[in-house]
Amino acid sequence: MGIDLQSSLCVDFGKFKLQNPIMTASGTFGYVDEFDAFLNVKNLGAIVTKGVTLEERPGNEGKRIFECTAGMINRIGLENVGIQKFIKEKLPKLREKGINFVLNIAGSSVEDYVKLGEISKANNIKAIEVNVSCPNVKSGCLEFGTDEKYLYELISRIREAYDGFLIVKLTPNVTEIEKLAFAVQNAGADCISAINTLKGLGVELNFNGTKVSKSFVQGGLSGKCVKPVALSMVKRIKEAVNLPIIGLGGISCLQDVLEFVAVGADAVQIGTENFTTPDISERLILELAEFIEKQGFKDFNNLKEELRK
Amino acid sequence: MKKNLKGKVLNIENVAKDTVKLQFSTSLKEIYPGQFVSILIPNKTLRRPFSVADFEAHSSENGIITVLFKLKGEGTKYLKSLKKGDSIDYLAPLGNCFTLPEAGKRAPQKALQKALLIGAGIGIAPMLYLKKVLTERDTENFLISGFKDEEEAVKGSDRTVIGGSVLDNIQNLLDEFKPDIIYSCGPKIVLELVCKLAEKNGLRAEVAMEKVMACGIGVCRGCVIKVKDMENGARLVKNASVCADGPVFAGSEVIWE
Ligand SMILES: Cc1cc2nc3c(=O)[nH]c(=O)nc-3n(C[C@H](O)[C@H](O)[C@H](O)COP(=O)(O)OP(=O)(O)OC[C@H]3O[C@@H](n4cnc5c(N)ncnc54)[C@H](O)[C@@H]3O)c2cc1C
Ligand SMILES: Cc1cc2nc3c(=O)[nH]c(=O)nc-3n(C[C@H](O)[C@H](O)[C@H](O)COP(=O)(O)O)c2cc1C
Ligand code: FES
Repeated sequence: MGIDLQSSLCVDFGKFKLQNPIMTASGTFGYVDEFDAFLNVKNLGAIVTKGVTLEERPGNEGKRIFECTAGMINRIGLENVGIQKFIKEKLPKLREKGINFVLNIAGSSVEDYVKLGEISKANNIKAIEVNVSCPNVKSGCLEFGTDEKYLYELISRIREAYDGFLIVKLTPNVTEIEKLAFAVQNAGADCISAINTLKGLGVELNFNGTKVSKSFVQGGLSGKCVKPVALSMVKRIKEAVNLPIIGLGGISCLQDVLEFVAVGADAVQIGTENFTTPDISERLILELAEFIEKQGFKDFNNLKEELRK
Repeated sequence: MKKNLKGKVLNIENVAKDTVKLQFSTSLKEIYPGQFVSILIPNKTLRRPFSVADFEAHSSENGIITVLFKLKGEGTKYLKSLKKGDSIDYLAPLGNCFTLPEAGKRAPQKALQKALLIGAGIGIAPMLYLKKVLTERDTENFLISGFKDEEEAVKGSDRTVIGGSVLDNIQNLLDEFKPDIIYSCGPKIVLELVCKLAEKNGLRAEVAMEKVMACGIGVCRGCVIKVKDMENGARLVKNASVCADGPVFAGSEVIWE
């Protein structure tokens, strides 16, 4: 490949830099180098860690995964090692291996998030992504990300505690994404990522003669089937705010990446497709570089400009 | 180390009602009984996991992996439609393996003199490979398997139970054969009974569990079961992923829910 990967694909968010726009999505790629068996994690723009909470969490009971047409539904329930273990066991490995990463954080109260922000700052973590698709226990378990007032308060408070690159990951389960994006911008976030999973339900029916047994898997829908929703959200966010955007939701090939960039994404994340094709993210970097060269674009920024015209 | 590999179908045949044997080429040099492969199915988000039912290593790219599968839904229907020479995209070797007399990933604890293998239904698949390896490594073994009816029975066991439960007369067999360890694979309900039986008889048991999987490598936490946290005096409960911490678990550590 006759293209200088380093400079031609690089994305500069100011406080945070990516060697290329291909990242991997929270919850689908582990914490560190779990995918090194299939690719070189160091080559990625950045990985986003599994969502980390203040305390370790065991996650949900019962069935956690349901496959549906062109996607899947998960109800993992944020099983994670907790911030202390992350700092002690995962962070040194990320640094030692030179992996560019974003810490994804989740909480059930504003205080949880603020503490996570403080700990991130204290440990010099360059970028965090705030998962706001979590129920706010203090306000009747309404999700932070569905109410612009709560969201504004939450992000403002995290902003006070954390001075690194602050990404807010929006949930698509709202009627007016513009209002939430605007709240996030006003609260001082540096970037928006979208989308998290859509609310979905998997239904399993079993017949034994006339006897029916059924079970439900209620959780977050992801994979190829969510792409049109994600594209629409990214486009609307782009039209509402000036923040850089990281697009995700159902990306599985170069064409998808280009579509997200065309509607406003400055970088993208690959989620569910990592399960199907574990080396997809590295492949996409190469394909993107080849495409840029073959088509005669100067670099990724130039491609982005042309796609946005 | 696990990899994403490609192989070619070498042989595909029906071995019993709705039961297919699929053999494909592999460059792997090692994969142990209890470990599994995860096969890509076109137009499906999730790969499909299958236990290794036999394996032959060769110095070239031409090792052979055998899987035995029961027709369930679209994934297995697709696999059944494959022809000799078709390509297979799979992740392997995944998961841990049964305790073996030597080599293997798990350090053998005690001398394994005599092993009883119990396969229920398609759970016979990993038992066949385990039997082969135990025999090669001079461990006396006995494989008993059970099937719903004659048509569904897969060959290769020392005793085959048709109809009823594979565990119906198992106490007699235990008294007669006097194993040191029981290995088993099959529906959860059978595995739970096997573990209780082992406990009652003061025997070790190892069971291969199943769960719907997404990543297959311990990352997504979609396939966890509850186990006793042995490091903490077995008092605490923790999650273990079937795909990476398992699929083989000691009977004494699994918490049945
Ligand atoms: C470690 C492991 C080893 C396995 N080894 C074998 C084997 O050697 N031979 C064999 O026939 N089957 C084996 N299975 C089960 C096999 O993976 C499923 O039967 C297969 O995925 C069904 O795919 P399908 O598309 O045909 O059916 P689907 O339409 O996807 O599903 C049919 C039924 O199978 C269940 N199922 C789907 N995926 C899985 C899964 N990953 N694990 C368990 N159940 C599932 C579904 O819940 C549903 O009830 C194994 C499963 C695991 C986890
Ligand atoms: C198994 C699984 C676990 C996830 N865990 C998290 C998480 O911990 N935090 C988070 O913000 N998003 C999580 N997500 C959402 C993804 O990061 C992503 O937003 C979503 O799946 C859409 O992208 P995709 O279609 O490419 O997967 C998870 C998704 C899946 C499938
Ligand atoms: S399938 Fe992802 S952890 Fe087991």
